[in-house]
Amino acid sequence: MQDKMFYKDLAFTAAKDFKCGKMGRRDFLYLCALAGVATTSVITGDAEAAANEIVLWNWGGDAVKCHTSAFGTAFTKESGLPVKYDTSGPLQGKIKEMVNSGNVTADVADADGFDAISLGKSGHLEKIDYSVVDKKKVLDGYAWDYGVSIIFYGYAFMYDTKKFKGNPPSTWEDFFNTKKYSGKRSLYKWANGSLEGALMADGVTKDSVYPMDLDRAINKIKSIKSDTIFWGSGSEAQQMIVNGEVSMGMVWLNRAKAVEADTNGRYRLNMNEAIAMPGAYLIPKGNPAGRANVMRFIASCQDAERQIKLLRCHGMTPSNPEAFGMIPDDLKRFAVTSEENLSRVLLNDPIWWAQNGGNAVNKFLEAIG
Amino acid sequence: MLVAPLFGLIIALYAWPVINILWLGISDPELGMQNFRPLFTKSSLVKILWTTIRVCLITTLCSVVIGYLIAYTMVNLVGRERNWMLTLVLISFWVSVLVRAFSWLTLLGRNGLFNAALVGSGLIEEPISMIRNEFGVLIGMVHYMVPYAVLPLLANMQGIDHRIMDASRSLGAGSFLTFRRIFLPLTKPGVIASSLLVFIISLGFYVTPALLGGGRVLMVAEYVSVQILVTVQWGIAAMLATLLLFGVFALLYIMSRFMKIGEVFGARP
Repeated sequence: MQDKMFYKDLAFTAAKDFKCGKMGRRDFLYLCALAGVATTSVITGDAEAAANEIVLWNWGGDAVKCHTSAFGTAFTKESGLPVKYDTSGPLQGKIKEMVNSGNVTADVADADGFDAISLGKSGHLEKIDYSVVDKKKVLDGYAWDYGVSIIFYGYAFMYDTKKFKGNPPSTWEDFFNTKKYSGKRSLYKWANGSLEGALMADGVTKDSVYPMDLDRAINKIKSIKSDTIFWGSGSEAQQMIVNGEVSMGMVWLNRAKAVEADTNGRYRLNMNEAIAMPGAYLIPKGNPAGRANVMRFIASCQDAERQIKLLRCHGMTPSNPEAFGMIPDDLKRFAVTSEENLSRVLLNDPIWWAQNGGNAVNKFLEAIG
Repeated sequence: MLVAPLFGLIIALYAWPVINILWLGISDPELGMQNFRPLFTKSSLVKILWTTIRVCLITTLCSVVIGYLIAYTMVNLVGRERNWMLTLVLISFWVSVLVRAFSWLTLLGRNGLFNAALVGSGLIEEPISMIRNEFGVLIGMVHYMVPYAVLPLLANMQGIDHRIMDASRSLGAGSFLTFRRIFLPLTKPGVIASSLLVFIISLGFYVTPALLGGGRVLMVAEYVSVQILVTVQWGIAAMLATLLLFGVFALLYIMSRFMKIGEVFGARP
């Protein structure tokens, strides 16, 4: 959409000329009408004001409160730039559409690792400047060209301790075994995590999960399809367990603590074979605050103490290896990168998901529909 | 001549953006009709379309029947009672779709009010699975659609002259015969209008099937949304949208062969 960029530039230079008196009002308005730009926003310098703040695009809800207390306040104090939030949820299609339209309003998107790889390849993201952002403050392998991991989240399942008193399930094989462990199950609707769980249940060892045998995973899912319900959001997952609709439910790890509290400890989290998902902070191409400011912001989010603050508030696990040892005891069980869990989890492969994600999601949806 | 500016505005602000999106159906990832091929090769797409149509047809049937009963009752009431009923219908019209969906989940869940009453009174042993399946979706959708069904029917029934029924009775017909041969045919435009309205709106339903279906009732609107936002296959999404749009046009065309569409939308014959 280079035309849009050109017109924007045209409008700005025209505004400067108009202010200096070099261009008459009529001509300026005419140019603006051509460029399709609201004249007020250009004259009053709105566009320049946008450059002096960071807009973090996240998923809303608690995220705003937690990002503010963990990252936002501290960054504003250091740099003087306020941090604002866009809570519409940066799905891959939305980021692509925003960059295509030429009207980029967010600086950093709190998205997934596979988004960083996929959108980076199609040219929709800014390259991360690793002279400002520190590669050593990220777990090895999770600092990509077009995105850097600030947090890990994950998928695991919670089980009914009352129902399975003597014989608690501990692996995905148990999860998929509806004969031995009766009752309903819940899985994630958009395939991520559910497919890996299915493969592990079918006997695939952690090292050979990727590249994923889609058909094998889908067949395994189909085998328990009639006993399974599927959730699309964290609150749905939580509700399904708290309402007693399932005896074993897959959840996002950041919800686990809340669920245990809501069910008075009746449902317990099982971290064995949990699937760790790398989040990624991405920068849509042409972000309003410019490269320098946004790199400073991302670098500030790598601080170990701030990541621990985020863990406390939001349940998202740090990706900075310095922070792993700092995880407080009561949260160790719920964090994928705490020492007790790091060896037990399966680390999701964002490259596979970047290449095959679309196909996998569609096949999954069609199988369960 | 005077209508031209309005027409131009409609084209610019409405038709042009819609065409722009639908154009993706034949231009993404490359120009051609290749996006339409999965309709014939992927049985899953056909299954999704069939699920959508089936759910919408059942919803339409149930909503129109219930709506008919409500409208008929309202027409035969007078004054305050009719106003009360109208108010209740309109209020349920205005409740947000998310609030409804979550309310149904709570009400019909395994430990919800309904099941608790049934199990507690000993009528059944295991709670019935009323949500997270197609049954739950139908309940949610019918609940949402009934006000949409009532209003055109009400408008139509209010226009029927009361004296025609009296005339029929005075000629010796019993009340059921009067209903069957006089009233029912006169309400045909209302029934058709109401059915069309409910069916077309149901086709686009997203939130209710997603929440109440437990992920197992996949309808077209949700599938299109996933293609746009998650899998970024915009061509397929636009192709399905085009299909829906032209499907609706085709439906209207077929209906127009059987009756004057103008009559359905209120014009006098």
